[in-house]
Amino acid sequence: MRGKAWALVALALAMAMLVPAVAGAEDKVVKIGALYPMTGRAGLYGLDSVAAAEMAIAEINGKGGVKGYKLELISTDSQAKPDYSVQVAKRYITSDNVHFLFGVVSSGVGLALTEVSKQYKKIFIGTDHASTQLTVDKLQPYYFRVSNNTFQSMAAGALDLKERQKAKPWQTIAYIGPDYAYGHDQWNELKYNLDRFGVKYKVVGEYWPKLAAPDYTAFITSIIKDKPDILISGLWGGDTVAFIKQALPYGLFQKTLFCSPDAGGNYEVMSATGDELALGLVLSARHHNNWPGTEANKKFVSDFFKKTGRYPSYSAEGAYAGVYAIAQAVEKVGNPDDAEALVKAFEGMKLKLPEDPDGFTSYIDPLTHQIVQVQAIGETVANKDFPPATRMLGNWKIYKAQEILPPPEYLKEHGSDYLKGRMK
Amino acid sequence: MDSSFLLVQFVSGLTMATLLFLVASGLTLIFGVGGVFNFAHGSFYMLGAYLAYTVVSLAHGNFWVAVLAAGLGAGVAGMIAEAAFLRRIYGRSEEGGFQILLTYSLILIIDDLVKLVWGTEYKSLSRPAGFTGSLVIGDVTLPSYNLAIVGVGLLVVVVAWWVLSRTRPGRIARATALDRETMGVLGVNVPLTMTLVFGIATALGGITGALAAPLRSVTPGAGIEVIIDSLIVVVLGGMGNFWGAWLAALLLGEVNAIAVATVPEWASLFSYLVMVVTLIFKPEGLFAPRQVRKV
Repeated sequence: MRGKAWALVALALAMAMLVPAVAGAEDKVVKIGALYPMTGRAGLYGLDSVAAAEMAIAEINGKGGVKGYKLELISTDSQAKPDYSVQVAKRYITSDNVHFLFGVVSSGVGLALTEVSKQYKKIFIGTDHASTQLTVDKLQPYYFRVSNNTFQSMAAGALDLKERQKAKPWQTIAYIGPDYAYGHDQWNELKYNLDRFGVKYKVVGEYWPKLAAPDYTAFITSIIKDKPDILISGLWGGDTVAFIKQALPYGLFQKTLFCSPDAGGNYEVMSATGDELALGLVLSARHHNNWPGTEANKKFVSDFFKKTGRYPSYSAEGAYAGVYAIAQAVEKVGNPDDAEALVKAFEGMKLKLPEDPDGFTSYIDPLTHQIVQVQAIGETVANKDFPPATRMLGNWKIYKAQEILPPPEYLKEHGSDYLKGRMK
Repeated sequence: MDSSFLLVQFVSGLTMATLLFLVASGLTLIFGVGGVFNFAHGSFYMLGAYLAYTVVSLAHGNFWVAVLAAGLGAGVAGMIAEAAFLRRIYGRSEEGGFQILLTYSLILIIDDLVKLVWGTEYKSLSRPAGFTGSLVIGDVTLPSYNLAIVGVGLLVVVVAWWVLSRTRPGRIARATALDRETMGVLGVNVPLTMTLVFGIATALGGITGALAAPLRSVTPGAGIEVIIDSLIVVVLGGMGNFWGAWLAALLLGEVNAIAVATVPEWASLFSYLVMVVTLIFKPEGLFAPRQVRKV
């Protein structure tokens, strides 16, 4: 028995030694340390992001990688908790030796990780979280974001409202959004942009339910009492679903025009509400499965469907874009280790993405490190091409990328010292 | 503010209150009879919503059949959880702490099981046939499904009152709540009683999850979203006090409805304010009868 036990120990030791040797055989790896929520209601975004990032990595590695490097993704459940995510990110940097931090759905987690990125001079590619603060108030040299922020979506929303006012005059507006930074930022940015574009309006109601509140009935009946011409919603995901389902029998959507320019048009809203999604709602998202109708977007959506058996929510395309941005930067610099050279490579990078319409290529603004993209706002129409959804967006209005960027005076007022220093 | 708006807002509060009470009823029942604080109660609510989804959409079942199936499924799951796990820690000196840790781990386990079985995509249930419209009288619009929920809530209150006060099993359950050991000596199968009560309580959670599904989003983590407010209701009503929970839910639902309409920027503060004031001035609960006060 004893001899056999020792033999087993020896075998285990030998195997343990073998593993690094095998890994060492292909040592030229670009390591990407991803953090996404994998549980709870944001888990969907995390799973979709990781699936899309893996898809991009398989495509790139399938073509031989970049400059002799293969891409590798390591992924951990962020639990949507800033302090926990900071621990994981530090471990990624100090013991896993990742070259890039990557991901994050919650802006709270994003704001915590950008501090880690700054401290360790490790590039952080933001693929999802939308708070404008990351590329303005808290901008630091090693942060880049490859999806639109709330300022961009709210500026597009304000332009849309301006056009609507010309076509059919409206005067009053109300807002409902979750009672935390994301909800408040959207409302402030919408008002800022309405003022900037010279739109006259009167606010008749502001409502701040808790994030993930299950019950909106009292809000709905109170909004109906306010009689706003326009209702702006800053709710997202399950909250939008619950609000729409509860508002339907009250006839809210006949009484006011419901607009949700940042996340209301997320695919999961349409798949979860089905026929209960009223027609003519004005919604947008950071990526649409049916816009633009380019080959690249169709291929992205159908490849994702083949891989996972479901259609992606908006977050998938952000993660896909992030991997391609990294590949392009490493291609240009020649290695993943020279952070300063990589920063230069990201600044101003042109990146052709599935969400780019013909004739436009996304690019990373060298000043704010924010990707500059076209924003398409649509209205809900009947469309059964992406089941289980029976409504998708249509009647698109397209807003040019440059028109929806924060203007210089906004950056001067809100920008971090680093950003202000670069503006001189 | 005109009277028709007040009526509409009152019914909004009533809908919220009823769902709040239905979740809290199971929570307070287990606490009252078993002395167990089931932190995972919300997970049985979530399980009920998913079971109802499966019955309605995959088996093309009738919605009301699905509600009963959800209750049955959540009840059986609850009895398994009680018999397999919770029963093992009764009577330990650190029972309170263990209960919280154990039921908290049940939340994580049930969440992951739901993710394995149903995935993370949001699921959806439509309102049942006959309840998709609204009752419209002049300015007043009252969705018929919301009214149906209020009705079901009242039904549960009446049935529970009848079972607890007029039937033998109900009397045994109430007596077990007061003194487990004596009931054991008297020949009552206490472990079985506890399992059954746990099953009934989680079944109530499951039924509520199914009833709420057409109004809410069915997602992983949905259980955690309801547990905090339910806990407030249980504490306000007096831990383990069934009627107290109903009144507390009504109070919270209406306080919220009025606050949303009058001071929307402070609305979510009010339910917590009510709780804080209660905990300071009447810690045994707003509606606790004097005789259940413990020294």
